[in-house]
Amino acid sequence: MEKLIGFTSDYIRYVLIGGQKFYAWMGFLSVLIAAALYGFYLQNTEGLIVTGMTSQIHEGLYFANLVFLVGVAAGAVTIVFPAYVYHHKGMHEVTVLGEMLAISAVIMVMLFVFAHMGRPDRLWHMIPYIGIYNMPGSMLAWDVLVLNGYLLLNFICGFYYLYAKYTGGKVNNNWFMPLVYISIVWALSIHTVTAFLISTLPARPMWFHSMMPIRFIVTAFAAGPCLIILAFLIIRKNTRMWIQDDAINLLSTIITWCLGIALFLTMSEIVVELYARTEHANGLYYLMFGLHGLTSLVPWFWSSLAFMIIGFVMFLVPGIRTNYKLLPIACVLAFSGIWIEKGMGLIVPGFIPTPIGEVTEYYPTLVEVLVTLGNWAAGFFILTILLKGAIGILLGEVKYESGTAAKSGDLAGSSQAAAVGSK
Amino acid sequence: MGAAALMTMSDDAKAATEWAEHFQGNYRLMTPEEKAEARTRLERRYSAEYGKKVTVDGTEAQPGVLMGYALNVRKCIGCRRCVKACVEENNQSRGKNPGERIEWIQVLRMERGEFATDKMNHGYPEGLGIQVGGNAYTPAGQVLEGQYRYEPEAVPEKDATYMPIACMQCEKPPCVKVCPVRTTYREADGPVVIDYNWCIGCRMCMSACPYWARRINLTNPVLPKEEMNPVTHYLGNRPRMRGVVEKCHWCLQRTRKGRYPACVEVCPVGARKFGNLLDPESEVSLILARKNVFRLKAELNTFPKFFYFYD
Amino acid sequence: MKKLAFHTMILAFCCGMISSAFAQQQQEITCFESRKGASEVVKRDLQPGWPNVKCSPKTGAVLWWGDPFDGTVPMGDMPLLGNVAPGKAVVKPRSEKLAILPMCATACHNGVGPAFNPPTLPKDKKPKPIPTMVGLLPDAQNLQHGRGRIWCLDCHHTTQRNKLVDNFGDPVSIDQPQLLCGKCHGDKMRDWRDGIHGKRIGEWASTGKKRWFTCTECHNPHNVQDGARNRGFVQIAPESPPQLPKGMKDAKYERVHGIAH
Repeated sequence: MEKLIGFTSDYIRYVLIGGQKFYAWMGFLSVLIAAALYGFYLQNTEGLIVTGMTSQIHEGLYFANLVFLVGVAAGAVTIVFPAYVYHHKGMHEVTVLGEMLAISAVIMVMLFVFAHMGRPDRLWHMIPYIGIYNMPGSMLAWDVLVLNGYLLLNFICGFYYLYAKYTGGKVNNNWFMPLVYISIVWALSIHTVTAFLISTLPARPMWFHSMMPIRFIVTAFAAGPCLIILAFLIIRKNTRMWIQDDAINLLSTIITWCLGIALFLTMSEIVVELYARTEHANGLYYLMFGLHGLTSLVPWFWSSLAFMIIGFVMFLVPGIRTNYKLLPIACVLAFSGIWIEKGMGLIVPGFIPTPIGEVTEYYPTLVEVLVTLGNWAAGFFILTILLKGAIGILLGEVKYESGTAAKSGDLAGSSQAAAVGSK
Repeated sequence: MGAAALMTMSDDAKAATEWAEHFQGNYRLMTPEEKAEARTRLERRYSAEYGKKVTVDGTEAQPGVLMGYALNVRKCIGCRRCVKACVEENNQSRGKNPGERIEWIQVLRMERGEFATDKMNHGYPEGLGIQVGGNAYTPAGQVLEGQYRYEPEAVPEKDATYMPIACMQCEKPPCVKVCPVRTTYREADGPVVIDYNWCIGCRMCMSACPYWARRINLTNPVLPKEEMNPVTHYLGNRPRMRGVVEKCHWCLQRTRKGRYPACVEVCPVGARKFGNLLDPESEVSLILARKNVFRLKAELNTFPKFFYFYD
Repeated sequence: MKKLAFHTMILAFCCGMISSAFAQQQQEITCFESRKGASEVVKRDLQPGWPNVKCSPKTGAVLWWGDPFDGTVPMGDMPLLGNVAPGKAVVKPRSEKLAILPMCATACHNGVGPAFNPPTLPKDKKPKPIPTMVGLLPDAQNLQHGRGRIWCLDCHHTTQRNKLVDNFGDPVSIDQPQLLCGKCHGDKMRDWRDGIHGKRIGEWASTGKKRWFTCTECHNPHNVQDGARNRGFVQIAPESPPQLPKGMKDAKYERVHGIAH
């Protein structure tokens, strides 16, 4: 018990104390969060009318980011899986960083859920026993279950591992390893269920196909590791924490495969839908070429496709893949390509045209953009703290009975944290 | 809890009732006493808010009744009187700003189409002279091409037919299945209803509805006092609040009391028919027995209780 | 401060409204039920705050009935309506709305009037021009109904001209046109009797009390097909279209067909 209290207080002390850069970064994030809180206040007094959503297109930026971030959370498994199933040494050392990323991503997902809801004050209606939890009928109920479960699993696995490192004790594999294996499968489940959330709606033909879950998973396993590689490279550069080359190279290989499959699936969808060109292809047609003279999503689609193809080619070439100066460019391209594809390219055109054939467009408002940015800022805020603490413990700067050890790690921790957030 | 106690003790009756509303359960699962209490609470709040005596009815489904609806597409002239009658009856938001006006019925305009002789030989792809398809055809009677913002001097237009749609009150409603809190459900006499006080505004039901029948209250509904219809039903036309979903419920406040829905009564050409599907003598049963009937998007197996027919 | 100003404005506005209301009090609002000119109704309050009808400000059409049975009388007998309990089928009499109807049978077509003594009744059913009638009813000059194959006395009783006529030559009330129309339009008559054709308001149960709209409340009997349009219902102005969603400036996008090859 004493150890646990020590862990908590040392951890908090370590992550809260940092240099100027650290405070500047956290301050910047806090400003964005404050702006989002104001937007959230408007949404809950004026209503969703302050957003660009309508009865025609009633899911926008929030839902799109929600779907994308579930993928990022699931992407953490690309570290956990090789580490524990293939006993990849380089990965094993940094598994906990992946888990921290997953925790932050799931928290962001929950923030976007809050932002998306018309009546967040009634969220308690979903809590079993005091409210009604529509299992197994509602896919959204399943999604809430798997997301909360994933958060819990990652929290337990990540912090138990850190705690063991902190105290210098051994990890009790009798229950730790089963949890890890469960969390691997669970990671697949979160994105699968999120895919089911929209692919089980025959009312929206653009979403209604069985390819959706696998497409979600391969894009997630491309976008997630992209973010992780970026984080790893920044950590390597700015902290004493060294992440092995072969860990990064394995992640690049995973991205290459997954991005390739994602592009292949996109191509399959385009061929199948546009060859037959039924009315069910109208959503995709709107996305690619516009419909009824309305074309606001067309540039998004083509830029996303270009980003993903260029990124894929860069990943394919071994010289670029292993060149850590060019690799970040490929990662940014792939990451943003997938973000567009999941957001503007999947959620919004699902509503265009509406089930009765009306074509309208979606224009996010400033409030919506602010809330979205603020939610991301909140995620990065949490991620910075989690990574800072985790790295401190992995480096041995925070140790049981080392008491004031936190001080020595200040500079390294803060610069790393600032760098992680700034990309 | 302290805050709750403070709020309920406050003099402001409106705040107190609203506060109590926050803690009520799902209407379907309330005991009869709780239901009555919830309705009385609402009656108090609405009466104060709209400056007249507002009743919130709770009449339950009658045994032996399964409501059904039939619409004669041959007759509809596209005058949109049903759309407006629905708004008069059901207390929808009717503000001026975009997103403040809600209508539950859409009257789709469908082209009669034309087949032009001058385009007979215009095939595609052009070039080889061997045609894969042609261009002589202009879409006729297309269901998925919704055009409902037509504004001619007079209807019916020569080159159009009309097809009104609203909630189909499906027997297997996809919207009910996806609701995470079961705030929307099928009543025993057929209509799919919403407990507006239980809805969390997640809008999954809106995504799931193949008929685009559901609307979200993007803001606090704009409902002028003098236009408010004071005869309401808890699951029907009582004023809604910001952030919840609403839709057609076949005028539960009228139909549970025996009266035709407002859209049926207002239709100047008598295209709209309503009745008990379990009664062989009812208008809808006779239509099903005698006329050619179809349902919209029947391939989705939603089993609407809203039938289209023609003479 | 802002609120105060707002309230003052409301107050000023209300005063203005009241004064204009006094000025307009005499002016009554007349709306039409199904067909313009056929069944019109004057708006009034049944109870305070509960009007008999609500009307569309745009088209003047009735949108809502406070009491569906306001001003109705029991419908007369009809064959094969035995299953409708007495008093459950009501109609709104049209006879009182037709201004010249009472005169029809007394002034000219009483069969014994001075001008017709001895009565100059038609000896056969061949149409012949009647100048006085044409003057009174322009419709009669170019009777569309039947496209020249029927004329006045196929529908109007020969000697009791404010009545219609059935197949046996017996008079039929002008409020029961179905007994006349059903002579030819048997299928429509059957559907109307069963509630499939035509308009009814009131109680939806098959045993409920309903106000039946009779044939002539919706159709113009002298020109059912509306001339060359050849549709049973005249054109009317539509109510206003739905509101455009946020971000859309006009509805042009609605008028394009999206299907390309």
